[in-house]
Amino acid sequence: MTQERIKSLGVFLIFIFPYLSYSQSDTSIYDGLNLDAVEINTEALGSVISLKDPKLKTIISRAELKKAACCNLSESFETNPSIDVSITDAVTGTRQIQLFGLAGKYAQIQVEMTPLVRGLLANSGLSYIPGAWIHSIQLTKGIGSVSNGFESMTGQINVELLKPENIIDDIVIKNSAKLRVNNYINQGGRIETNLIYGKRISDKWSLGILGHASGRSIIVDNNKDGFADNPIGYQLNGMVRARYFGQNGWEGLFTIHTLEDQKIGGQISNNLNFPISSNPWRSNMSQNRFSISSKTGWVNPKNPNQSIGVILHGYRQSMIGNMGSSDDALNQKELSAHQIGGVSQFLFRQDWNKISHTGSVGIFYDNYDINFNAGGYLQGYNRPFVEQNIGISSEWTWTPNEFLTLVAGGRFDWHSIILNSKTRVPFSPRIHARIAPNDKNVFRLVFGEGFRMALPITEEWGRVASNREIRWDQYGSVSGGDQLSLEESTNAGISYTGNFIFNYMPGSITANIHGTWFNEAVIHDYWSNRMRYIYPDLTTSNESEFAMISKSAGISSNYKLDKKTEIRLAYRYQNVVVRNQIHGLDPVSILMPAAFVAKHRALINLSRNFMKSWNLDITVQYHGEQPIPSIQPLAPGLDGKLIGIAPAHQLLNFQFRKTTRKGDFYLGVENALNFQQQNPIDGAVNINGEPMPPGSTFFTDNFDATRVWGPIFGRMIYFGLNFKLIE
Amino acid sequence: MKYFILCFSLLLTTNAFAQKKVELRFITDGVCGMCENRIEKTLLNLRGVWTAEWDLSTHETFVVYNTKKITENKIHEALSDVGHDQICSCTESKILAFEESYSNINPCCRYRDRNVIEAHK
Repeated sequence: MTQERIKSLGVFLIFIFPYLSYSQSDTSIYDGLNLDAVEINTEALGSVISLKDPKLKTIISRAELKKAACCNLSESFETNPSIDVSITDAVTGTRQIQLFGLAGKYAQIQVEMTPLVRGLLANSGLSYIPGAWIHSIQLTKGIGSVSNGFESMTGQINVELLKPENIIDDIVIKNSAKLRVNNYINQGGRIETNLIYGKRISDKWSLGILGHASGRSIIVDNNKDGFADNPIGYQLNGMVRARYFGQNGWEGLFTIHTLEDQKIGGQISNNLNFPISSNPWRSNMSQNRFSISSKTGWVNPKNPNQSIGVILHGYRQSMIGNMGSSDDALNQKELSAHQIGGVSQFLFRQDWNKISHTGSVGIFYDNYDINFNAGGYLQGYNRPFVEQNIGISSEWTWTPNEFLTLVAGGRFDWHSIILNSKTRVPFSPRIHARIAPNDKNVFRLVFGEGFRMALPITEEWGRVASNREIRWDQYGSVSGGDQLSLEESTNAGISYTGNFIFNYMPGSITANIHGTWFNEAVIHDYWSNRMRYIYPDLTTSNESEFAMISKSAGISSNYKLDKKTEIRLAYRYQNVVVRNQIHGLDPVSILMPAAFVAKHRALINLSRNFMKSWNLDITVQYHGEQPIPSIQPLAPGLDGKLIGIAPAHQLLNFQFRKTTRKGDFYLGVENALNFQQQNPIDGAVNINGEPMPPGSTFFTDNFDATRVWGPIFGRMIYFGLNFKLIE
Repeated sequence: MKYFILCFSLLLTTNAFAQKKVELRFITDGVCGMCENRIEKTLLNLRGVWTAEWDLSTHETFVVYNTKKITENKIHEALSDVGHDQICSCTESKILAFEESYSNINPCCRYRDRNVIEAHK
């Protein structure tokens, strides 16, 4: 491979497979030379914010992911100052993320530019991306590019998985293979194994296989409330990928992904002292997915400034779950949902001297068949519906000199549901600007509009683990089911990133202020008495009134204290308000604080290398007070106890890691201070601390597993290893 | 929380400011990113070296070290031991690495070989 060829490939790779080129080492230049025992150690800084990018984009590398034993994507933001991880409820153990204090669903989460955490996988899709498979994560704060779709409302998270060339990285010899194994076990009974295999088949083709199996079979109930602290079950996940680097600028990546997940939680322990005739409260959930995708691209070998890319992606996924007990049949919930869909996207890029243009034409089609039943209240109706969209986008980048970059883009979407119900074609404009007074400091501006379609029940399935009555609006008039509802917002922000050298050591500082204003949003009402209203498409009649507003400001700094020690300090303020309706003879709508959003968050992360091959990582997270629903069974506003306050708390994690030639070993402790939320499930235990069967009036009247604001499990010790088996 | 902040600030002050640091610049021969890696790693592994950088295009080595913990000679010795020739203002002649240590470095890093230098251009 000649150097020019690598360069032209680079242009292309940045366009369709961003940051892949970043990972390619330059070893291929020395093909002819003997490369025995070469080890190029390019362990760069764990997470980097590029000064050249017009977007505020953090690239999180594998080095960063090693700082915490992340089993999957939902847990991999532990050392990240911008993302919060929260648990939706105390029974399903689903983890979701927050950006700017807003749910992760408002950030567009993609895997290599194709959807995964979307539709029926929006609920727990983050746990279907094993940490060991991740090559890098690009986290964009503020609205993303139009080329990738309309759904990025607060930001964008793109996960690059290991591709065949990443697995076999420096193996240049044909027919050589590499196998890595990664194991993890923790005190909570979770066992995980990942197998990562790569093989170079010919000069043009290479193959990669990613396998994952994990499970939990031990029922642990540390807080003695009768409910298992974590659901038990298993996940099997596999991916086969083939990579093609051809002649004349052609290349391709073909992937097959299959997934199966089974979970059971709730009162699953065998030693509950319930009457023999009683049926314990249980939650079952199973999800599966099968998908095929192909990405092909071409760089014009005569003019490397022209390139095209085609993404084809088809999938079938389902989510089948139920929760409750037949002793409390009115509150039993059942869900059976299937989705079949596909995405095809065509991208083209042309670079001129100072201007570049990226255009895209994309089509997606989703067929949903969702059946939702909740006891006696909602009669589920089974009417499959289709969501389809044709979108065209155009994005222009103007770089007159190294001090200024302006990106302006827009897209039109002919979306079947919006076209039918609102008779309009949404236009999403987006602007990004980068102003760099010198090569050490950068200011960035972002402004844009985006929208998404919500599935209020399926995408927050854990939130129905409660005996609160679900109503679709104040009249409760919608006849059940789960329908796609529009959410639309405007995002604007300003940020500063500066690199500095102090005491001969490099450091960086980033400060940002971002706001997101929702014209329309699906609101889950946490403040109403014994009910949970869901306002689909909450649109206020007054144009200047917003359905939801988030304001967030943060500052974070990375600094190398000495050659072996790195420190990260971060603080973030976030204020989120949500429109709720106060019902009665004269209903009014007012802005209320968003539940489970802490106003103040801080993080300290220290990593130190000692005795050459050992690493110690310490992370302290501070969570400020959070507004939570009150358990007072009184009507809202009557006693002033509408909003409860969860106390501020700190979490301390640390981990030791030993690196050897063959692999890594790690031993760590999560939540070392053993902080636990007391009584995460209302109605589960009576005043004497005895677990209650679901048939009892006390349970039926009070049960609510969704008031979770802190860790349930307490201190957890884990051990893991990551090993090369063959090479 | 406040104890952590206290601990960190203590760490910062003891590590960063209570030392006498000296800057040192000299030329080290080398050809590629692998050489860069080797040079910097060797220097950083030395006790008393605060920071070390090697510039591929100018071949300049920049070292900051603590005079109480290491001498300049020890720094040059360490680089010779891994096979790198150096030119510095401290001696008139070039500091040559022993043939034995030079032959131990990877074939692609043989900076004395004209062909290797050409291959990297």
